Amino acid sequence: MAWYVAKRVATMFATLFAVVLLTFMLMHSIPGGPFTAERKLPDAVEQALVKKYNLDAPLHEQFIDYVRGLLVFDLGPSFKYEGRSVNEFIAEGFPLSSRLGLMSIVFILFLALPLGCVSAIKSGKWQDLLIMFLATLGITIPSFVIATALMYLFSYRLGWLPVFGVSSVKGYVLPVIALSGYSLAFITRLMRSSLLEVMGQDYIRTARAKGLSETAVLVKHAMRNALLPVVTILGPTLASLLTGSFVIEKIFALPGMGIHFVTSIANRDYTAIMGITIFYATILVAMVFIVDIFYVMIDPRIKLQ
Amino acid sequence: MKFRMKFPLSALATMTLAALLAACGGAAKEAAVAPGKIVFALQSEPDGYDPGITNNSFASPFMTQLFEGLVTYDAKGEIVPGNAESWTISPDGKTYAFKLRKGLKWSNGKPLTAKDYVYSLLRVLDPKTGARYADMLTVYIVGAEEYYAGTGPKDAVAVKAVDDLTLQITLKEPAPYYLGILAMWVYSPVYQEAVEASPERWTMDPATFISNGPFKVASMKLGEGVVLQKNENYWNAASVKLSEINFRFILEPATALSAFEKGEIDGFREVPASDIPRLRTGSDSLHILPAFGTTFYDVNTTKKPYSDARVRKALALALDRDELIDNVLQAPSTPTLALVAPGYVFGGADFTAAHAKYGFSSKADVEGARKLLAEAGYPDGKGFPVLELSYYTNATVKKMVEAMQQMWEKNLGIKVKIKVQDWAIYYADIQALNYDVGAMGWGGDYLHPMTFLQLFTSNSTNNLVGYKNPEYDDLIAKTIVETDPAKAVELMHRAEDIFVRDQPVISLYSRSNTIMMAPHVKNWALTALANLYFKDAYVEKK
Repeated sequence: MAWYVAKRVATMFATLFAVVLLTFMLMHSIPGGPFTAERKLPDAVEQALVKKYNLDAPLHEQFIDYVRGLLVFDLGPSFKYEGRSVNEFIAEGFPLSSRLGLMSIVFILFLALPLGCVSAIKSGKWQDLLIMFLATLGITIPSFVIATALMYLFSYRLGWLPVFGVSSVKGYVLPVIALSGYSLAFITRLMRSSLLEVMGQDYIRTARAKGLSETAVLVKHAMRNALLPVVTILGPTLASLLTGSFVIEKIFALPGMGIHFVTSIANRDYTAIMGITIFYATILVAMVFIVDIFYVMIDPRIKLQ
Repeated sequence: MKFRMKFPLSALATMTLAALLAACGGAAKEAAVAPGKIVFALQSEPDGYDPGITNNSFASPFMTQLFEGLVTYDAKGEIVPGNAESWTISPDGKTYAFKLRKGLKWSNGKPLTAKDYVYSLLRVLDPKTGARYADMLTVYIVGAEEYYAGTGPKDAVAVKAVDDLTLQITLKEPAPYYLGILAMWVYSPVYQEAVEASPERWTMDPATFISNGPFKVASMKLGEGVVLQKNENYWNAASVKLSEINFRFILEPATALSAFEKGEIDGFREVPASDIPRLRTGSDSLHILPAFGTTFYDVNTTKKPYSDARVRKALALALDRDELIDNVLQAPSTPTLALVAPGYVFGGADFTAAHAKYGFSSKADVEGARKLLAEAGYPDGKGFPVLELSYYTNATVKKMVEAMQQMWEKNLGIKVKIKVQDWAIYYADIQALNYDVGAMGWGGDYLHPMTFLQLFTSNSTNNLVGYKNPEYDDLIAKTIVETDPAKAVELMHRAEDIFVRDQPVISLYSRSNTIMMAPHVKNWALTALANLYFKDAYVEKK
């Protein structure tokens, strides 16, 4: 076990380094720079800025500089927002984004697992058809449509919830639902198909033949195996939910960190692109790792090696 | 209605789920409208709050409330005394002596003197500061360019504090529009002690964000908003009636509009174009005001066949501006084929009144355009290469270029291909003259035709069309040294004549500023330079 964890941690660092290197190279290969703003700057001004942010140093030196900062968790100053650091972007945005993400994941699990089970048990019946109909819509309708429709109905028409912001608890309701939409539908479908597959296997027939009640068969024998694919998908899902969504944060005017995924690229804010990507990648590899540990707990047949 | 899309069936799914969570109750408001307090939404966070550094248009609402320079603008958009009570200009037009008001104070109560101005302007000229608007000083002030380039001494910069109340600035040339330049926020004073204690971050903390305008910073939260409160140490604090302005960042215009209509905010800029027709008839809050800006399309004058002025003219004439404004832009704007936007008045007449002599029509002149194209060697568009019409990701511009494509193909018989890129890539291509025709425009920095006319001199930074005409350059150079305003106007008219003759860009219309402001907010001002002032505003009790 210890050996396995050590090996995995080493791989994780290698993966992260690859992410850092690739992002750095890709970022510098796209046209435009952090000082491409609303209007062209006079050459002398642009040169002064390039010098100020050390962008005139050779690329490999900039890279080494960057990695050196990274080792002490310094993601550098933003090139676009004067006086701000990328650490601040994350420190100020992540708490809200992760709070929304956690609420969403709880919401998703509480709904998706029972709905998926009902759908599988009542396979072919009206309950199944209704749930699958809704789930298909949830997957195909983009989150910005869900978000605007929800806002239109509950905030604009009915006036039950605020249009934007999270200054009251009510402010979380719509963003959480809109953020969950896709994953909720996806996990419901996954749970259903996975459970259906398990239920058709020989050992379930054996369990039934032993005279176990249907509930015991489902909960003790089928669910455990059926959950494996769901747990697998939960890692990346959680990583992306925790780090925020550009669309949802933009529509509901939430000061999270999801907004930076897109704006940092549009701004060519080099340090922000790097910092946000690395932060996301770190959470992602950590989640995948945790999922692998969970496997063992759910399915004793899986051995870590 | 606000949302054009049909209410999607899928919402049924989410609605049922929503019902599980949504606790019913009255409308929750982020901030209740209180007397003397307003919530105003901004579409983007500025890239900085340091007046010496930023040139970002999103910084404007902060700069105008927090800082005041030697001169400022009144509600009518005219330059009026700010920190300076009066000034004199030497007979040669080059030396300005400003008399500061007595007893000027910073928001922390410390005295503000001419020395603060000297410090602030020299700081802009220090390359390490990274001032984006540094050229607004280097171009005009004696010794500034040399000091900025590191070839001249600090002492030689002609910004001097004669005494605590007298500031003297000496110019290289008697630029007749210099007061307008001086009204730009890059000329605002900054508080030396706070800046030197934390050069990069003094504007990030309300405790060190010392300012001298009608308002000061009360609190700020990254990505969410900045709350300003009345600055009791402002020299004219007695006339400032608002106690608090909450600037909230709402990036999505549709959200801002919904929040406005539900009374959660009192106003916002950048009204979504698609909602303007509805709001124009049904809202008492929409204001459409003339802007000192022109939307035009850059034409690459260094590339065949666009190097031929007749081709550029044909393209300009073949567009129906009325249709573009009424059906695509949907916000009232003034069609133009010239460059300067209305707003500069001299001798009782607007500078653009002279545009009448060009005999423009806001409708397409198809015959005239075809004739010019034939003269250039492309009768009925035959042999004309495919025109690449470039633009940057933007919903309104997209509709605009699609309409232009249709007009050019139909009216001139040429083929037009549309190309879209994100702004940074697009702008890099434009700067490299790697395009045929591309969406562009200019919002004036100061209320004088020179803010437009200087763009197209051969060595102008923002001349991105490769236009070079010595005759034009000469007229602009003469305007800069002309001390007689009437003669300057005459010279500028001659320059614009050449511009219209050569048509280095295809002008479409003079812009307007749109703003939504609740009727209970009174006496605010949005100037033609798109600066919003709340110094005289108040909330009427309901």
